[in-house]
Amino acid sequence: MLELEALTIRYPDFTGNYTLAVPKGALCAVIGPSGGGKTTMLHAIAGFEPVVSGKASFDGRDLAPLPPASRPCSLLFQDHNLFPHLTARQNVALGLKPGLSLSDKERGIVADALISVDLDGEANRLPGELSGGQRQRVALARALVMRRPLLLLDEPFGALDPGLRKAMITLTDSLRRQHGLTVLMTIHTPSDIAHAADLVAFVAEGQVQHSGPPHEMLKAGRSPALDAFMGV
Amino acid sequence: MAGGIARSRLPHPGLIAAAVLVVILAAALAGLASAGGQSRSLAGSPSGFLPSPYLRGVARGAAVQAGLSTVLSLLLGTALALALARRPVFPCRRLIMAVISAATVAPTIVIIFGVVAVFGRSGPVPVLASQFGLTLPPIYGLHGIVLAHVVMNAPLVARVLLGALSATPAEHGRLGQMLRFSSRDCFRHLDWPVIRREWPGLATFIFLLCFTSFAVVLSLGGGPANATLEVAIYQALRLEVDFERAASIALFQIVLGLGIILAFGLLGARLPDTSGHMAARPRPDAGSRWLLALDALVISFVVLLIAPVLLSVLTGLGQLPSLANRQVVDAAITSILLAGLASVIAVTLALLMASAAEAAPLGRPSASRARLIDLAVLAVLGLPPFALVTGLFVLLRGHASLASVGLLMVPLVNALMALPFVYRLIAPPLRQSAVRHGRLAASLGLDGLARLRIVTWPALKQPLAAALALSAALSMGDFGVIALFGGGDLITLPYLMAERMGAYRVDEAGAVALVLVAAAVGLMFIADRA
Amino acid sequence: MLIMRQFVVTVLAMAAVLAFGPVLPAAAQTKPVLTVYSYSGFTGKYGPGGKIKDGFEAVCNCTLDWVATENSGALLGRLRLEGEGTKADVALGLDVNILAEARATGMFAPHGQSLTGLDLPWTDMTFLPFDHGHMAFIYDSSKLANPPASLKELVENPNGPRIVLQDPRTSQPGLSLLLWMRHVHGDKADEAWAKLKPRIVTFTKGWSEAYGLFLKGEADMVLSYTTSPAYHVGAEKKTNFKAAAFAEGHYIYVETGAMLRSTKQPDLARQFLAFMLSDTFQSAIPEGNWMYPVKMPAAGLPASFADLIKPSRTLAFTPDEVLVMRRTLIESWQNAISR
Repeated sequence: MLELEALTIRYPDFTGNYTLAVPKGALCAVIGPSGGGKTTMLHAIAGFEPVVSGKASFDGRDLAPLPPASRPCSLLFQDHNLFPHLTARQNVALGLKPGLSLSDKERGIVADALISVDLDGEANRLPGELSGGQRQRVALARALVMRRPLLLLDEPFGALDPGLRKAMITLTDSLRRQHGLTVLMTIHTPSDIAHAADLVAFVAEGQVQHSGPPHEMLKAGRSPALDAFMGV
Repeated sequence: MAGGIARSRLPHPGLIAAAVLVVILAAALAGLASAGGQSRSLAGSPSGFLPSPYLRGVARGAAVQAGLSTVLSLLLGTALALALARRPVFPCRRLIMAVISAATVAPTIVIIFGVVAVFGRSGPVPVLASQFGLTLPPIYGLHGIVLAHVVMNAPLVARVLLGALSATPAEHGRLGQMLRFSSRDCFRHLDWPVIRREWPGLATFIFLLCFTSFAVVLSLGGGPANATLEVAIYQALRLEVDFERAASIALFQIVLGLGIILAFGLLGARLPDTSGHMAARPRPDAGSRWLLALDALVISFVVLLIAPVLLSVLTGLGQLPSLANRQVVDAAITSILLAGLASVIAVTLALLMASAAEAAPLGRPSASRARLIDLAVLAVLGLPPFALVTGLFVLLRGHASLASVGLLMVPLVNALMALPFVYRLIAPPLRQSAVRHGRLAASLGLDGLARLRIVTWPALKQPLAAALALSAALSMGDFGVIALFGGGDLITLPYLMAERMGAYRVDEAGAVALVLVAAAVGLMFIADRA
Repeated sequence: MLIMRQFVVTVLAMAAVLAFGPVLPAAAQTKPVLTVYSYSGFTGKYGPGGKIKDGFEAVCNCTLDWVATENSGALLGRLRLEGEGTKADVALGLDVNILAEARATGMFAPHGQSLTGLDLPWTDMTFLPFDHGHMAFIYDSSKLANPPASLKELVENPNGPRIVLQDPRTSQPGLSLLLWMRHVHGDKADEAWAKLKPRIVTFTKGWSEAYGLFLKGEADMVLSYTTSPAYHVGAEKKTNFKAAAFAEGHYIYVETGAMLRSTKQPDLARQFLAFMLSDTFQSAIPEGNWMYPVKMPAAGLPASFADLIKPSRTLAFTPDEVLVMRRTLIESWQNAISR
């Protein structure tokens, strides 16, 4: 269970105050207008934002004292997830050992992860030689080998074609089930995720305005802000 | 659309600028050569365009010196850049950076006397060393030259690298944090790829600067064993008044310089986009204790090495009142105007040429064209300003007097001298903006000025301001060009400084040096903020 | 703002000149203008240029315009570049070591002045001397009690003073020392250089860098002129700087002026050459250019010159000898020093 209790981030021109609960193993889609604070929320959970008050916990464990490296989560950015001078295989291997000196067993884990994202054929390519979707799959494979129970995805497939986007979400969903991950994913087009998500959170003006199951959330009439966002 | 096609047939204005640059250099050489070598025929010495064994020996020695200077400047500058990247906040960081950066742009003579003041016979360093029973060798010799070159160039390396490091995606720093990067991993995955990308270009640039160094080599070299071809060119022009010989040596120097660039293929890979959004860059290794110690050591070493050299001008403080007269004020105004003009010309040229290098008529910039433009910019370093000016004047004579050409020539030649520096500041961000937004701009049909305003300008605002400040500071400290035209109404501060020195007024010259260094620090302060 | 306006005017003028070239008539002047090319130390704030301009303008009913170059070599180089089209009427400051090249340009006209009553032997009918001095090593007597008494002693004493010199490839004083060494040591000059080498701090680009380094304490002695101590006495009231008198004699340094063949105002130019030997001009030299006048002013030398050393012998090569020897001298000096 991921719990945010009035988790507060403050900047001169922005204040975020998040309260949200995501059951273990669930996929939560975070929707909302640009600049509403979705990315900030994910970054705060991952430990990249200074929290001024409130609490974030996972499985009852307070995250506040933990540096990003020790948190139970891995975060995928929209872009720049890979180091351009390392091959796909090396980029995945970073998740196990940043020094890149792997044992045979660890090499096997990396190979398996690449197979699970269907990239075993591209293991020796540099990021510059991969397509946008392939790059994000490499990043996903790295998140898998890191074996952290909470996966945070910050519009990771926003730049992809609609078909590819759907396929990536399906892949993410199946990896979630396979590995028992809790997933928090910000997304721009709610329709993409309706079929996979257990929970939808609407974030605007730095707050989780509403959250609930997709069929409730994506219905019109819940609130003017959500309606405006959904375009109904 | 028809208009667009018709327009694209015209060569890019930057290509024209590059062509003009090459024509100016070639014309200057041709002008020199055509002016003839009267005194040589008089003296009956052997002639010929093939470089003599003497010149080849000079070139060899200069290459060793430049190689040493380059390696040490790169190492120290890189250490400094890494330390500064890891420590974005510490007391007086900006001021310290400005003082150190001023070493790159301050008048050479100030650096020479600064080095002597600190490391010379009665300077604090040898005196301190003797307290510990050490006897340091005199500063004059190869090591003195290299020391001065490191003082001048390490800050430049640090600036360029710091800019490149802070242009890497913030995501990479966060990934490093998330992936538990050790400080070694940080260096390997975050810093080294950037360093490896920037080093070749920086090395070429600094090598050429040191290979063509002049006053530093003469004053700190200790004797003719240390020389550069620049010295031989000066000798031919000033002592022998033999222009043809000067031209042939200058040609030899340019050919060598370009050969060095080409032979080592050191133009720096023109790599794709690496920039993320500009945010504070998280450094996963900032917490490491031993790195903190190392950074403190590096920063204090550089500060202790370079700052005293510049701060030695503070001895001119007491003489400042002697500057309160009309002539000095006029010279200051002239300096400011000429430097302003030169920096505008330099930045305009650099902007045009850099955008021509990135212009992509078919959606993909032409690498060979970009390299040719890079070469043209670096070729400027091959021709010393006095040879350039003399050659150009030969062509203009009969049309205008040297005095009236001066007002145009001083800012123009200063701008050309600053061009390689400015180009280095402007070209990389322009390249990034072209790679990131080039296709978008092309798809929106953005062209010419509209593209400049919407796509290029936002990415270039800061580098442009920095380039303006840097080139203004360089021109402000110039003596090489003003020495040829100065006098009469055209008197700048460096000219005044030289004149006062020539009239035994060392103290008054020191006060002028203080003003010049203060101006350089101020301009670099602005450049750093930008 | 003056300079800005001047700049705009120049740009326009340049454009006009380039467009119309020689068709454009010279701007009308109320008074004739005499253009004199010299070097910056002479025309600068502390040089004698200001007094000389005032003095000449008081008698010539003309305007004197100084044009400054970096040094003697630059002055000749510029004249050669400008050729027949030069604006210069008179060149002031060609030193004796460059006269052969200057003569070879064929750009100078005979001065037509009487050479009687000069303080130095002079016969050249084109280049007229206006000041002179001797090369000498200057030291601070409060730090160096026993300076060498001869060039030989300077060269041969391994524990002798450390000296800072000028590079003969880039400066006239540096070249003068090369000639001085040659004069004293003849064919053994290279060996002498090799012996002297360990005590040479460095060779600078020009006189002022070397003198500056000396004043900053980098060397015990500096190559300069016998007249240098007069500056410290006259301008700074310091008496501790002295020139070392050398037994072999001192190499001479003479500065000359000459009128251009191409001048449009030969009478005015000749009037200036005559003025060069006048009391007004000559009395501006000692404490302006810190050199000896070539014709003793009526008031005699200033007090600051009273204690200067008098060379026992004057050493000199002729300009033609200098021209012939220079390249080989420089090359063998390079070899001797680099070895």
